[in-house]
Amino acid sequence: MKGSRILLVDDETVFTENMTRLLTTRGYLVTATDNGEAALRILGEKDFDVIVLDLKMPGMDGITTLKEIGKLGLFAQTLILTGHGSIDTALEAIKLGAYDYLTKPCEIDDLVNKIEGAWGKKNEEKNKDTQEKIQKVVESPSSVFDLFPKRKG
Amino acid sequence: MNKSTHFDRDDPQEKKIHYSGLYFKFIGLTLVCSLVPLLLVGWAINIHYKRFAVSRMTDSFQTLVDYHRRIIESFLQERCSRLRLISETHSRDILTQRANLFRVFEIMNREYGSLTDLGVIDDHGKHLAYVGPYDLMDKNYSEALWFGQVMEKGIYISDMFSGFREVPHFVIAVTRAENEETWILRATIDTDAFRSLVEDVRIGKTGEVYLINQEGIFQTNPRFSGQIMENAPFPAGPIHEGIRVYVSKSDTKETQQPFPGKIVATLWLDEPRWMLVVMQEYSEAFNEVNRANVAILVFLHLSAATILIVTILITRYMIKLIRKRDTQADRLNRQLMQAGKLAAVGELSAGVAHEINNPLAIVLTERQILLDSAEQTPDLDDRFRRQLTHSLNQMDLQIHRCKRITQNLLRFSRRTKPSIETVDLNNFIIEVIELVEREAKTSGIRFLSDLEERLPLLLSDPSQLQQVFLNMITNAIDAHDGKPYGIIHISTQSDDQNQGVRVLIADTGSGISSEYIAKVFDPFFTTKPAGKGTGLGLSICYSSIKQLGGDITVKSHEGKGTEFTIFLPYRPPLNPNESMPEGHESVGLGKS
Ligand SMILES: Nc1ncnc2c1ncn2[C@@H]1O[C@H](COP(=O)(O)OP(=O)(O)O)[C@@H](O)[C@H]1O
Ligand SMILES: [Mg+2]
Repeated sequence: MKGSRILLVDDETVFTENMTRLLTTRGYLVTATDNGEAALRILGEKDFDVIVLDLKMPGMDGITTLKEIGKLGLFAQTLILTGHGSIDTALEAIKLGAYDYLTKPCEIDDLVNKIEGAWGKKNEEKNKDTQEKIQKVVESPSSVFDLFPKRKG
Repeated sequence: MNKSTHFDRDDPQEKKIHYSGLYFKFIGLTLVCSLVPLLLVGWAINIHYKRFAVSRMTDSFQTLVDYHRRIIESFLQERCSRLRLISETHSRDILTQRANLFRVFEIMNREYGSLTDLGVIDDHGKHLAYVGPYDLMDKNYSEALWFGQVMEKGIYISDMFSGFREVPHFVIAVTRAENEETWILRATIDTDAFRSLVEDVRIGKTGEVYLINQEGIFQTNPRFSGQIMENAPFPAGPIHEGIRVYVSKSDTKETQQPFPGKIVATLWLDEPRWMLVVMQEYSEAFNEVNRANVAILVFLHLSAATILIVTILITRYMIKLIRKRDTQADRLNRQLMQAGKLAAVGELSAGVAHEINNPLAIVLTERQILLDSAEQTPDLDDRFRRQLTHSLNQMDLQIHRCKRITQNLLRFSRRTKPSIETVDLNNFIIEVIELVEREAKTSGIRFLSDLEERLPLLLSDPSQLQQVFLNMITNAIDAHDGKPYGIIHISTQSDDQNQGVRVLIADTGSGISSEYIAKVFDPFFTTKPAGKGTGLGLSICYSSIKQLGGDITVKSHEGKGTEFTIFLPYRPPLNPNESMPEGHESVGLGKS
């Protein structure tokens, strides 16, 4: 979906630069960063639809970052990128709530497909959530106040 | 892992030498520890026993001689005392009357016998009276040797001599001093009684007892060595004190021994100076001892031989056992080595794959960027665009080749738990053949299958098995490179005894040289040109089959073909690999 907001997290800066360029050409809004801490900070500031996360990074690694992201309670979906060597870790990531994984090197088209899938999933969940809230408000109007302190993804 | 039966890394020649060295060392040691002491003790006992026997024999001969001496001496003593008694109790005047002398002679002969004649001689050697068969009245003894001796010592016993009747006799003479005058009573003794004392002694078959005088003349009849009054074959030798015992084993005459081949005891009597000899053949005297000794020695050597044989048998058995253990240990070692090699390579390749995938990913994005740019640039030179497209395609191809390699590496390193299902092996093989048949046909290769009907169903991992069979068949097809046609023959057989199935994959390809056959299961071993082979196919097969509890072996005839035998158990082992992390190969596509 054109205009989807994507956060790229990978320590290979050449890779993120190239990816940014390719994805931008394909109509996405891409933000890139090369480490987990920065990614968490950026996620605190802006909303994203899909997060593309490399598993093997210096400093905070992919799995830790994923766990931290999980704590934020976002609707954004996470796609795991892996050098295939860590396929077991990729599976662990899926158990931790990642949407799917991709092995490097990957075709841009494959990546785009998975991003689209993730975007769809995100929207689905968001809608479901809104629906539930509306339901809640309908059932007990006072709970409308619960909506305000909550940040929307 | 019996990768190949006809290829051994260790030099068999060297091993043989090693084992035979061990063999001789064992035998040597056992012999030194058991046989040598046994023989030493045996021989020592033997020698000791012989010595003991000799000393016993010597003792017994000494007693024998002593005993006979006593008998002889007491006999002579008695005769002497009788004469003495007569001479002391009768005066010269009475005895010189012939009638009186005759009376005494008669009485003595009647009471004791053995008196041949009796005479009275004055101190000038003249006969004063005589009773006996000879006419000796005129004989003067003053010049005779015995006369001097009896006058000097008071008593005299002569050597044997042949008398009037050609019968051996000897003389006893005693003196009597009476009224300042000395006279002599002289008797000739018939020796029958005396001789029987000596001659009747019997010692075994070869023993004899006799007396000889100082000149070496027999004084009694010896049993074997000659006749009385004859010269003895042995010289009497010098007079010695006490008893002498000679033991001479040897029969040969050259020896210095005085009595070769005999055991002899000698003793000189005091009066008369005769030598008492007791002798027996050595061989008879020591017969018992010798027999006992021979028995001991035979027993000893028999035991030694038994020990020797038992030692050899035991050692052989032990060496066989050691050898078997060694080969087992060898095989285990090689298996461990192979497993270790695979594990190390697995770890390494996982890291390498990861490191290579990152740059590959970048290259791929670069290619994509170029592709994008080219699309957005309409006024590109046609030729350039064509070249660019070609190059970019080639890049894609090569990147994917790299990816295939790393994927192979990773598949190799991955230690996933096999997902076990029931597998109909025959159907399975037919499917795999169908998969590759088209490709094979273009290179003129035909498939023949010989599948055992009613093959039991297996419990195994179909995805690993597929990988295995694909690898094996690809290799077989590759092996026909350069041959216009060929056959790949696949057969299955159940092996109830080993509770499994045997799959034989034979091809008519290039074969594997004996130099390489031990290496084909090693990771990265390939004979194929760069780009074609990764050398991982068979090592993946090997580790997969091992994981499934099976075995794979190869036989090959260079130039003619190769045959792989895969054994798969009816059911896989309960814990196929000791440390397998959780994880699955077939990955789900997200949560949705
Ligand atoms: N069926 C066969 N006939 C002849 N050689 C074979 C056969 N299978 C394997 N090999 C030999 O074993 C080597 C290793 O095989 P493999 O591990 O599958 O690696 P690769 O096929 O990539 O070379 C091959 O390069 C080839 O020399
Ligand atoms: Mg191969």
